[in-house]
Amino acid sequence: MRSVWKFFSSVKLAIVLLILITLASVLGTLVPQGRPAADYAARYGGWAGLFQTLQLTRLYSSGWYLALLVLFALNLVVCTVVRFGAKWRKAFGPAPATDPRALVSAKIKSQFRLSLPLAASGDRIRAALRAARYRTADSGDANRAVLHARKRRLGYFGSDIVHLGLLVILAGGFTSGLGGRRAEIGLLEGEAADVPNASFRVRLDKFETEYYPKGGVKDWKSTLTVLENGAPVLTRVVEVNHPLTYRGVSFYQASYGWDWQRSSVELEVRKRADASFSKTVSLKLGERASVSDPDITAVSIRQFVPDFVRGEGGKVQSRSQEPRNPAAFVEAWKGEERVFAGWIFAKFPDFGPGHQGGTSPLAFVLKRYQAAPFSVLEAAKDPGVGLIWAGCLLVVAGLFLAFYWPPREITVVLEDSQGKVEVTAAGHAAKARETFASEFETMFEHVRRPS
Amino acid sequence: MTEPTLFTAAFALYVAALVVYSASIFARRDKWAKAGFVLAVAGFAGHTAALVLRTVASGHAPFTNMYESLSFLSWSVVLALIVFSRSSLAPRLAPYLMLITVALVALASSPLMPKDATPLVPALQSYWLWLHVSVTLLGEAFFAVAFVASLIFLWADSAEKKERLDALAYRAVAVGFPLFTLGGLVFGMVWAYRAWGRYWGWDPKEVWSLITWFVFALYLHTRIVMGWKGKRSAVIAIVGFLAALFTYFGVNYILAGLHSYA
Ligand code: HEM
Repeated sequence: MRSVWKFFSSVKLAIVLLILITLASVLGTLVPQGRPAADYAARYGGWAGLFQTLQLTRLYSSGWYLALLVLFALNLVVCTVVRFGAKWRKAFGPAPATDPRALVSAKIKSQFRLSLPLAASGDRIRAALRAARYRTADSGDANRAVLHARKRRLGYFGSDIVHLGLLVILAGGFTSGLGGRRAEIGLLEGEAADVPNASFRVRLDKFETEYYPKGGVKDWKSTLTVLENGAPVLTRVVEVNHPLTYRGVSFYQASYGWDWQRSSVELEVRKRADASFSKTVSLKLGERASVSDPDITAVSIRQFVPDFVRGEGGKVQSRSQEPRNPAAFVEAWKGEERVFAGWIFAKFPDFGPGHQGGTSPLAFVLKRYQAAPFSVLEAAKDPGVGLIWAGCLLVVAGLFLAFYWPPREITVVLEDSQGKVEVTAAGHAAKARETFASEFETMFEHVRRPS
Repeated sequence: MTEPTLFTAAFALYVAALVVYSASIFARRDKWAKAGFVLAVAGFAGHTAALVLRTVASGHAPFTNMYESLSFLSWSVVLALIVFSRSSLAPRLAPYLMLITVALVALASSPLMPKDATPLVPALQSYWLWLHVSVTLLGEAFFAVAFVASLIFLWADSAEKKERLDALAYRAVAVGFPLFTLGGLVFGMVWAYRAWGRYWGWDPKEVWSLITWFVFALYLHTRIVMGWKGKRSAVIAIVGFLAALFTYFGVNYILAGLHSYA
């Protein structure tokens, strides 16, 4: 037990761990993380298996990386605790016994005589120290007084507060990792859905995309209503960077799209032989719409893709959700006989068998297409965030204390010598010695020659 | 004056400052160093005006594309130079800091960098982003000072000068480290949380910020608890600044991630 404690109280271990964690983190940015196994096989060939065994492919959640973080945390706790007692005594404990000879060897010091009685000299120096916001403590005897003054004592604990903050952040990270839940909810306008891992529902009242005047998406706005037992309790607009939080679940605007599987289109039907013939019909995907003409009684749309592309083996796919190259697979019927079947492109009306100059006696124009927009919201429950923000505050406050609140210590010895008082003052500061030295100097200059 | 004119004027003044400062290395005249400083401050004033004009014109803080963030980083380096100008070592450091500034401004002005203030995609419309980028870049500018002081340390031959360079590098880290922690890590996490619902996602840019932070934590600890000073400290500070540079440039161009817009 003792040797374990000793092991973790070493700062050398901290240095080793910092280096190891840094190197491991670098490695994780060189190997892509969390891809499918096939990607690794293609990229690293025979090495892929080894990479997976060593968990390099999900390094930041691997057992060994987490183990390093745990060792780091233990090291941090032990190191901080071990030093804490001594620091506390230094900052708040009784003044240490003073050896006047030690004062003389201090780098920041002042020696002079005052033609005042011992008590009055002490008062004057004490007043000067207090004016400079030092707290003073007295000791000594009848003909020798010792003043011990300290200020900014919190500064001693800057590093401890940083370390505590880091531990709180690590705890928050583990809490998030273990207790965090996230799920995507896709909703059409007017639709409601259960929120995973929660006892309430949300409904999307409205979904809007705002554009800049010159194009480009400015924002997505989802108007969400929270439903408890079917009753609305709260309505809020969720935008990117403006999530809604309700009972520990936060809703983020994550993505959007269109319900192309239920598109409706407007189709113009023409005949090559008869330029005056034109009929426009509106229909939904899968529906058959009547054209009431002897040559063509009805049309139907079998498939609709917003961003047409032919994939492997000529298979039709949609490259994206955006309507960049909308296309409909149109079928035309004469009674039960199919007289036309082919792709019609909204943006390329002169393409395919069904266009005006094509080979088929019938021609089609995809005049309009429409699908309901839907919003994708990320519902996230993260029990660790409170700890994270608390830890961040501690770290930042501790850094400020560690670097900008340097503690200062002054010891003054006053000794009676032939009716005068011999004063020896010495200052001690681990940091920012230059500014301390100048404060020290002006203060004692003033004590010697009060203006 | 328009923003591009001011920016070009600042560029010209920085180049002039670099030339005059470089002359001061060889001439070893205080006069040259003083003139260099005056030119740098004049350039800084013009640069500040350019940044303000751009902010007013685009309606958002100027940190949204590579041109803008390079411009702000170079501005921060000059600011750090001004902050440390009272140090007796400032004239020694200034030529190299000016060299970094001119390199950054030249890169920002290169035709490869799109300069138009583009409309912001939704994720970037957040004041946390402004805080995140500005405070991080300020912190990195102070790391640049530590970097230059450490490089000169490695070349310097007088022990007395080495000691002062070592102390100056530490003071620069003491400013840069809290700023980088606040901007790079804390504000970055807050922004990510607001935008994506997660404060940390192990994306390469995030990890490299953490790596940079670890290297400077190593710098502080080896110094204060193991008493490392001088050469070893200087090497760590140099590695730390290079990690910061890689976070800034390398991740975008070499590793792919979420952060690829800036
Ligand atoms: C990345 C993680 C860490 C950070 C950011 C950090 C931060 C700090 C800071 C800012 C200081 C004050 C430095 C100064 O005043 O110049 C400090 C001091 C110190 N740190 Fe850490 N620390 C970390 C990890 C650790 C670990 C794991 C240990 C475990 C042994 C440790 C042990 C110490 C010690 C012993 C001191 C000196 C304390 C004093 O007397 O003030 N640190 N740390």
